[in-house]
Parts: sequence; structure tokens; C-alpha cells
Amino acid sequence: MLIRGIKSKPVYTPLAPDLGGRTHLLVGFGVGAEPLTRLMADCTLAGVTKASRRLLYVTDKSASMAMHEMMRHADAGEVQLFKDSASLLSEFETILKASIMGTRLYVAGPEAFMGLVMRIAARFNLNRDEIRAEECGSPARRVHCIHCRAATEDVTTNIVQCVDCQRWLVVRDHYSRRLAAYMGVMIDAEVPGELPPIEEVFV
Amino acid sequence: MSHSHTFAVTVTAITQVTPLIKHFVLKAADGAQMPSFSGGSHVVVVMKGATRVYRNPYSLLSSPNDLSAYEIAVRRADQSRGGSVFMHDHVTVGMTLQIAHPVNLFQLDKLALKHVLFAGGVGITAIAAQLEDLKMGAVPYELHYSVRAPDHAAFADRLLARHGDRVRIYHDSAEHRIDIEGLVAAQPLGTHVYVCGPTPMIGRVLASARAAGWAESHIHWEQFSAPPVGDPFDVFLKKSNVKVSVLPDQSLLEAIEDAGVDAPYLCRGGVCGECKCRVLEVDGVLVHNDHYLSPEEKASGTLIMPCVSRAHGKNLVLDL
Amino acid sequence: MSAVFKTDETFRDDFKYSNSPRAIRRFPLPFVEDKYMYSVNIEPHVPGPKDSITEFQFDVDEHYIGECRDREIVLKEDPLRYQALPHMMSAQWDVLELLMNHMSKDYPEQFSLSKQGNRWSWHNKLLNIKNEFTFGDPSTLPREPLDYITRQAQGDFVVMDQRDGDFYIEAGMVTTPADWSMDFDMGMSFKEWHGPVPLAHELNVFDRALKFLLNLRINEPVRRLNWTMTVNPRLDTSPEFYPRWGSDRASVTADNVADKAHIRVELQGLWRLPRSNAMLFGIRCYLISIRELATIPKWARRTHRTLRDLHPALVDYKGLTRYRDHVVNWLAPLDDGSPTTSGNAPE
Repeated sequence: MLIRGIKSKPVYTPLAPDLGGRTHLLVGFGVGAEPLTRLMADCTLAGVTKASRRLLYVTDKSASMAMHEMMRHADAGEVQLFKDSASLLSEFETILKASIMGTRLYVAGPEAFMGLVMRIAARFNLNRDEIRAEECGSPARRVHCIHCRAATEDVTTNIVQCVDCQRWLVVRDHYSRRLAAYMGVMIDAEVPGELPPIEEVFV
Repeated sequence: MSHSHTFAVTVTAITQVTPLIKHFVLKAADGAQMPSFSGGSHVVVVMKGATRVYRNPYSLLSSPNDLSAYEIAVRRADQSRGGSVFMHDHVTVGMTLQIAHPVNLFQLDKLALKHVLFAGGVGITAIAAQLEDLKMGAVPYELHYSVRAPDHAAFADRLLARHGDRVRIYHDSAEHRIDIEGLVAAQPLGTHVYVCGPTPMIGRVLASARAAGWAESHIHWEQFSAPPVGDPFDVFLKKSNVKVSVLPDQSLLEAIEDAGVDAPYLCRGGVCGECKCRVLEVDGVLVHNDHYLSPEEKASGTLIMPCVSRAHGKNLVLDL
Repeated sequence: MSAVFKTDETFRDDFKYSNSPRAIRRFPLPFVEDKYMYSVNIEPHVPGPKDSITEFQFDVDEHYIGECRDREIVLKEDPLRYQALPHMMSAQWDVLELLMNHMSKDYPEQFSLSKQGNRWSWHNKLLNIKNEFTFGDPSTLPREPLDYITRQAQGDFVVMDQRDGDFYIEAGMVTTPADWSMDFDMGMSFKEWHGPVPLAHELNVFDRALKFLLNLRINEPVRRLNWTMTVNPRLDTSPEFYPRWGSDRASVTADNVADKAHIRVELQGLWRLPRSNAMLFGIRCYLISIRELATIPKWARRTHRTLRDLHPALVDYKGLTRYRDHVVNWLAPLDDGSPTTSGNAPE
């Protein structure tokens, strides 16, 4: 069973302005503040107006106070700060309902957060050529247990115990955008108790 | 894959809808139901002329929900190689033609949250069946149809009867042009735009949508190039070891087929890439007329789409 | 000679499963030479010889009743093995039409279909299922069309929508997977879905396959063979239920290998669906024990050589690591080193 190097793992690239867009929606989490700040500066240089940019940001312990302040005063037509991801995602969905064609989405933050953002975007038929994403911050993974379908959050180890069924799961690189999670498969199904060493790998 | 299998159809009705457009009804020669298809499909019609065989693609404009017959409309193009002229002048009711199974290179996006369609003139033939598919679904749609008044009244009336206020007809004059820019400027997220019509209209829709910030995955268009006429030239097919002369009013693909060489094709309009062929040698220039190859590929001189493109010069060797 | 349909086969627990001599003869051994590596081995799905598994587009064989029964058991425990996103309804009807047309035409004693316009009447005599329904109106069938018809067909079925020059897996019935989860892969693009396959990406297999499939035409289906191995004649080797069957792999010994280890061959077919322009991917599974396979001397020699020399990445991917050596050792005495004729036919 292939564990690493699976091609469904998304490839992220540094954010850059998409000059084809007319409205630019920036969504960030924690240290995602840095690439978003860089993006806004690049937008200004490229002639993308401040008024066409809208920022949604949720702070997190990974981000310094300075970063939070940087986002509060971000160079965007509208800035909204949130205390948690859930309230940001809810507002994000409300915004998409009222948005029109010509919108581009930029996401920056940990993959687990970006996955949730992009899953909402997909419901509005935002396609891959309308979304740009840069991964930063914790590489911890959201893991979908293939056996009981529960999601275990913030997984940093190669092997993790499922929060629901308690099986030990090996975390594969196989990623589902629909579930916004990596696949976790029972590691000792063939010989119970035969576990390789548990290591911190997504840190 | 090479030639698609064809089947026999009988022409059961012909109507002159405008001075230049004839409408044909085709039924299976064996009396069976026609094969199912999806809106936006075309069929390649094989016409056996006195001296040669024509194979032209025509959109299916009848409803995918009525498989008793296929309907196509053919615009007469006197300046082209003769397929449309053959359809107009030589095809009569009761005649048998061969057609290939439908192919869809202009399909609706099934995840769209709204569809906005533009059609001009005979381009409506590619859109009409899509509307029938949309009518069966729950996703909002609207058609903006530009006609040269009152030529296309027959099509327009039929669409209005089927789709009511989802269809707007524009009589193509300065006073009554479609406000394409305005229409694409404020569409909800998840809208897809489709256009089929004269080249300038396709150009306006593409330019307007892009200017309004639409990403390419939401923009759909179909423009079959009729293979243009040109100077005669010779081609050598290396694998088949056959020398072929291409007549001025014949496409390279047609000449290859006439020589008995089985070449792949799908759209015969320079769109799909199926007939893409390697150029082994060329003494002269390739005249690219397709919408498929990238500018770099065209410039490289190593690839050609024989369905619409030609060569100008002394020698051309293809990997066929 | 048509199949004699077995009525009491099982693919779990007591594993009451075997191949008749006829079924062995028509088994599609995928090794056409003495070694194996991926290739884009796609060919037109045209009728093969009489009694072969490709005589008809959808092969119905002696295991039909047991396989359909096993599917019902899986679905009862795990209903998400069948899924269809809402935009796939026209493709669902496409599949129902395709299967009913072929099955009733090719196996008239087992299946019958009559049509009065959109009023269709379907009779499956093997499973004793009879329904009248209106084609195109899901409310007239007891289940969604794809669910309904694939419960009456052997093999798994996946339906892919075509968008933006790619295919997305958006409907299907998968109760006999070789260790892949449709539920997890739902919505994936062609290459994401095939992400876990080793080596093939580097060989550009999927680029070429995708390009080929995008231009696949109505009425011109294609097929290929794929294979793996399974311990016990178990159809449902899904990741979902891996905790149940994983230990099978450690249960193979030198003594039981000939009956426990099975070659599992998938006849994969691809059909362009006409009403939806979607793509049907059919995965028809054939299982044969090593003991049954070895009744054909050429197959014993060839399988021995192929498994002995298999690329290590494929040994791992196909889950053979724990028991490949047992299989190779059991087959070794049957391989006298004499040459094999090319192709997979028994010589």
C-alpha cells in the first residue's frame, strides 16, 4: 500500500495576483497572514485596486500579536477578523452567496483549514482556475478514518488512534477534497498489535 | 482509433428555413429508434458525391428526448468545398445517407448553478438541443439569440414556444444588439456561459466574459471551421507509402481518406485534436486553420490537423 | 454451452466458491507473456470468441447469483458503497439502459425487457425481480436507476462526469473493490483517483489513458485487463472492511496456499454514455485459486515466472508481501522451464 508520494496530495504554490479576476477574496488563518500581506502588496504593484480586495482572517496561536495587528490594518477594501474558523467559514459562505462571476479566491494557512474553505467554494462551483492556495503554518493533517468515517483533527504523527473507533490508523498521502482530509487506514489489521514506531512527521 | 462506424439514415423531410439554410429530418433506415445523445452533440454526415465523398459535421438540433428522428440544419456555403452545397442541391427526401454516432464536444457543465447561452444565426443548432436538456433540469438558464430578421423566424418561434421567457430573440441590427457586456457583468457565482454563432459574436462573448473576470473553465464555445479552400498541394503518407494530391476544394483529411488511408478524426472542424498528425518533412509553409494546436505547436512546423489545415509548397510528408 | 448458474455460492465466512472446468477454461489470465509491467493495454471491446468472457459486453457467468447476493450483504452493512451525486441522474439512466439492453439481448433466457414507448418492463428470472417503470422517471423504480440495475449485475460500476478536459468520479456501485474506496475517492479527478497506483504515473500511463478516454465515442467501448491477488475468494476487499479481511493475508501457509491464494482479474470496460456524455467504467471481477489455475500447465509456468519476477513496488501495492513466496514456491515444481506460447490461451 502506497503511503507517501500519492498524486492526489494537492500541490500548493506561493500566492500571486490573478489579474484576470475583478474581485479578490482573501481568506487566511494564523501565519497565513504573511503570504496574504505579500499578496496584497503584489496586487497594489500590479494595479489591482484596494477596493476590489476583501479579507477574511482568523487569528490563531501560531500567529503573533503583530500579525494580528497587521491583518487588522490590512490593505484591503474590507477587512473582517474572526476568533475561530467556524465563524469565518459561515461568513465566507454568506459572501459567496452574494458574489458574482469574476471573483478569485486566495487562501493561506494550514492545509486542514484551507481544505474546509475550498470545500465550501466547491459548492459554489468555484473551479480550480478560480482558487489559489498557499500552505503555511501547521502541517498537521485532518484524517478521515476509512473504517468508521470519523475525522481526527490535528494529526502530526504517521500513525494515529481514531477519535471514534479507536483503531490505529496509518496516515496516507491520499487526499480527498470533498472530505478535506487524508485517508487513515488501520495499520495492524493483518497482524493485530504489529505497529511500526510512531513518529512525529507532520510538524 | 480510426473511422467511427456509420449507420444509414433516410432523409424524411427537407425545409428551406431561410434563403441559405435548409433543415433536414433524418430517420434510421431500418426504422429503429435513433441512438441517444446529449445536447451539444454533432454528427458527421457522409455524402457520396459524383466524384468524391464529403464528411461534414452538423449539430443535432432536435430534442435528446425525442429519438424518433435527428434534425440538422445546413447553411449553404458556396465558397467552401462543396459538402453544404451537396446537401442543398443533391439531397432529396427519400435519399439514404450515412452518419456516424453523435459526438459531444460542446457539453453543458453539469455542476453549473446557472447557464447563460448566446447563439447567432445557424449557431442556434448547437444550442437548441442543450436547451432541451436544460428544460428537464432545475438549474436556471437563459438564451440570447441573435437573428437576421426575419430570416430565422421559424427557429425563433419554436424556441419561444418551448422555453417561453427563458429565451430572448434579438433582431440583429444596430438598434437591437445583445448587450453581451452587460449580461456577463453581474452573473452569480457558478454561472457558465456558452456561445455558438458567427466568429465576431464568439469573439465578443469571450472578450466580454474575460473582461468581466470569468475564468476559462466557465466559458464554453463551439466554432467548427469549415475547411477553407486553398491551393492544391501534394502530400506523401510515409507509413502507408502513398502519395496524395489535395485538390483546392478538398481538405487534406478528405484527400487522405479518398486515397484509402484510414485516418483518425472526430470533429472534422479543427477543435478536438483527434486527427493531429506529425509532420515529418515540409518544404513550404503549413497553413494552420484549427483551434486546437497552441501557437507554439503551430510555429514548430511539426504538427498539423488535416481536417482543416493545409500546406503551401512543394513537399509535405506526414506520419500516416 | 451456457453457464449452469450456481445457487449457493458465498464470498465470505465459509467461502463456498469454485470454478467449473468451463469457467477455468474461459478465465482471463492477464499474463500474455512471462513477465508483467503496466502498459496502456486498451483495446476495442468487440465480441470475443463464443463462450469467452468477451463474447458479450456484459458477461453473466455461473457465479451470478452468489455475486448479486454478496452485493446485497455489503450494501446492507455499508449503504455508502452506492453513491450518485445529483447531477448524475441522466448518466444513471444511461447505465440502466445499456445494461438492460445488452443483458436481455445476450441472455434472453435469463433476462427480458419490453418497451412500449417510455413504459419499460424488466424481468430478471435469475433473481426473480420484475418491474414495470417509466424510463426517465426515478419515482417509478424501487431504487435509483443505477442502484437498481447494478444490484442485478456482476462487477463494480463507476460513472465519471467529463468537465474541463478531465473525468470526475461522481457515481457508482462498488462492493467488490481491490482495496480502494469509492466513498473516499468520490469527486476526484482521473489522476487523483489513480494517485495511489505506484510507478504508472512516472510512465505517463494516466496522461495517455486520459487523453484517449476524452475522445472515446458512443458505441465504441474499450476494455483492458487488470489483476491482483486475493486471499480466499473474497469479493469485498474494501479498505472500509480491511479490519475484517486484513488478517487473511497472514493466514497463508505453504500447506494452504494453493486453495487460499487467488488470482483476481478485472475485466475493465469503458463506455461513453450517450444521454449524459459521461463515462461508465465497469470492473468485472474473476477469481481463480492457484490450484484451479495450475490445472492449465501453461498458466502454472507463466504465473510462476510472473510472480517470481514481479517489481517490488507492485508486490507491495497489490498486497502480496506476506504470501507471494508461498505462491511462488508452490508453483515452482510445476515450472519445468519449458517455453510458453504467447497470449493467454491454454495451449
